[in-house]
Amino acid sequence: MEPIVVVTTFFAASIRMAIPLALAGLGESISEKSGLLNIGVEAIMLCGAFFSFMVVFSTGSFFLGILAGMLGGLSMSMLHALLSIRFKANQTIVGLAQNFLALGLTSFLFLMSFGQTTTLPSTKVLGDLPIPLLSSIPFIGQVLFSQNLFVYLTLGCMVLAHICFYKTDFGVALHAVGEHPIAADTAGLQVHTIRYIAALFNGILGGLGGAYLTTVKLGFFQENITAGKGYIALVAVILGKRTPFGILGAALVIGGAEALQIRLQTAGTGIPSQLFAMFPYLMTIAALLLTIGSAHDPAALGIPYDRDKR
Amino acid sequence: MPVLEMKDICKSFFGTYANRDVCLEVREGEIHALLGENGAGKTTLMNILYGMYQKDAGSITIDGHEIVFKSPKDAIARQIGMVHQHFTLVPTLTVQQNITLGLRDSGYPFSRERARCEHIDRLSDSYGLKTHSRALVKNLSVGEMQRVEILKLLYRKAKILILDEPTAVLTPQESDHLFAMFKQLKAEGCSIIVITHHIQEVLDHCDRVTVLRDGCSISTVETKGIDAKQLSTMMIGRELVPVARERQNHHMDAPVLELVDFGFKRNGGKVGSVNLSLRQSEILGIAGVDGNGQKELLETLMGLRDHEKGKMVCCQQDISNASTAERRLVGIGYISDDRHRDSLVLDMGIAENLMLRPARSTAATQGHMVNKQCMLEQATRIVKEFSIKSHGLQEPMRFLSGGNQQKLVLAREFIGSPKIIIAFQPTRGLDIGATEFVHNQLLAMRSAGCATLLVSTNLEEILLLSDRIAVIHEGSIMDTIENKAVDITRIGLLMAGVRTEGAAR
Repeated sequence: MEPIVVVTTFFAASIRMAIPLALAGLGESISEKSGLLNIGVEAIMLCGAFFSFMVVFSTGSFFLGILAGMLGGLSMSMLHALLSIRFKANQTIVGLAQNFLALGLTSFLFLMSFGQTTTLPSTKVLGDLPIPLLSSIPFIGQVLFSQNLFVYLTLGCMVLAHICFYKTDFGVALHAVGEHPIAADTAGLQVHTIRYIAALFNGILGGLGGAYLTTVKLGFFQENITAGKGYIALVAVILGKRTPFGILGAALVIGGAEALQIRLQTAGTGIPSQLFAMFPYLMTIAALLLTIGSAHDPAALGIPYDRDKR
Repeated sequence: MPVLEMKDICKSFFGTYANRDVCLEVREGEIHALLGENGAGKTTLMNILYGMYQKDAGSITIDGHEIVFKSPKDAIARQIGMVHQHFTLVPTLTVQQNITLGLRDSGYPFSRERARCEHIDRLSDSYGLKTHSRALVKNLSVGEMQRVEILKLLYRKAKILILDEPTAVLTPQESDHLFAMFKQLKAEGCSIIVITHHIQEVLDHCDRVTVLRDGCSISTVETKGIDAKQLSTMMIGRELVPVARERQNHHMDAPVLELVDFGFKRNGGKVGSVNLSLRQSEILGIAGVDGNGQKELLETLMGLRDHEKGKMVCCQQDISNASTAERRLVGIGYISDDRHRDSLVLDMGIAENLMLRPARSTAATQGHMVNKQCMLEQATRIVKEFSIKSHGLQEPMRFLSGGNQQKLVLAREFIGSPKIIIAFQPTRGLDIGATEFVHNQLLAMRSAGCATLLVSTNLEEILLLSDRIAVIHEGSIMDTIENKAVDITRIGLLMAGVRTEGAAR
């Protein structure tokens, strides 16, 4: 292969690897900005992946499948929101419990539906959708504009989120609720409603991230298909400092590491593949170490709001 | 017809009444004071009006219509605004974003920053509330934060303005300015409710006053034709006996504590530096507006923060780098302004809390072991001596009243007769009875030869107790003056950072 082709496919692959992380990370950042710490991103993604696969498998419709993925993610994020907002539960513990719940639940439902099979049931995957004209630009056209629908969708979401965070009253409200809920409340904002809305977005975006894995990338489902991507998305949120483009950048770095290690594994270097598999996680730790101390968490992150508390 | 009528309001928290059949009636265009001690239920009542709390019983009528507010949002819609004592501003947002937070003006959902800033600037000009609409709130001084809070109400076109202890963070001059602005608002038809426990403020600036005591409304009277004595009797239910401070000659003594260019880190990266000396049998008061580095200075003095430069000399011993325990063993006692956070373990009992001292061996300890009997005997003695009311020595501190908690803090710090007491707002949040007790104890320690550094934002307290008064502003001492026929105006100016030569005015 020519070097330019190698580079192009590497970048294109990095973007594809980054998509689920970016989507789920964006959802989580909205949630965290409002003060809801949901470490159950893994659960959201897993449910998104499972339900979208099931619906695509039984109906053949990608539209319904993606919708089902969003609903699957929503079920998890809204359960978390209900427990954290209404019942003021410990948000970390709820998220953790949900991760195990989703793992067990999706595996169980999968087995119920298909039994023990030697061949994994699979569906066709959502194809690439090159954009006319733009896709014929050298290099950039190949990397950016010859991708699937999800890539464009993610980029669109990032832009919308950026406008929402920094140009609209809702963005200010979100910030206020996560930073100083009492101030938000006395200013006339409905703290709980805003947090539920944030959880809603978290579920939808995380569900999409999960749906991407089954309907676009793989075309099949298996136990623990997300394999820790939800946790990596949490890291992308911190690395990206809860800004949409920061998260996208962080997801691209981690996605790039992932794409690189796959290429190195198959390059036949004689080094055990497990070492390469560690690479994205090492990158993550290194990046976290470099950004220590520069982060500012929302002051009310993880703290339930109780107006009557004296 | 009154614009606001609250009738027979009841509210209880965990089975104790905060408000019991409270009635309040506010007319259009008046400044109405809500007077009472800490814990009398003033703030609770106003939080009910503002929709923060739900009342258990009673009715609220505005302009003749009975209303029920589920949240502050509903109250704002009925043109009610409230400035809480602890400001409710988001530090990481700008002034403009804080003021317009939650509003849906033209252009929603997009933030029309320029138009909003212009509107804010117009308001701030016409009411003399100087601010920078694009500045981040966390960079503002406490006084400016208050102005932003008031602008927030004006921007929302509030007709009934509630202010909780607005003068607590202001110098005397700033307070006068604030009330002048209230008069302007009053002339425009607004009604202003001021929560306060300062009787003089009520007499000087308010039209009518409602007195609350123990969660009940005692009465509502015109401020014309009533005097301070009558008001204080209504407020505390008995007559107030002022504490007496006899003069002492201490000028000859060598200082027990000396601070030489003592530099300390302030919150927000700034550095403060002070020169002070403290003599035996003297109370040195440090006056100043809250947030001028008082807390950081005292915590540095106690070794809770690292000091920057300079020296701290205590009885000819340089203890600039000593640990907190060493400082205490030298003979420094510390009364913090936040007894829950700094002074007490709320889930431990009286006896255990009394043990929280770095004494190598006390009556109650033998080596590293605690002699339980001695511990309890000591506690019993102290409880009696300081008349601390509790249900037994093992009762967790959190169930004691604020006054009794503070008495215990005092008792613990006074054990072993310290040479120096550092007292930071020692009467914060206490009722008048407990305040009297604390004042008398501090004066008793002074008579016993103890040197006291009294830091308070309450100027009355400083004037009452101090032999000398130092004024702190932005982390440095503006001036130190003898507490003899002091000119309040001059102190006020010093608190605001204005140094006047010789005679003030």
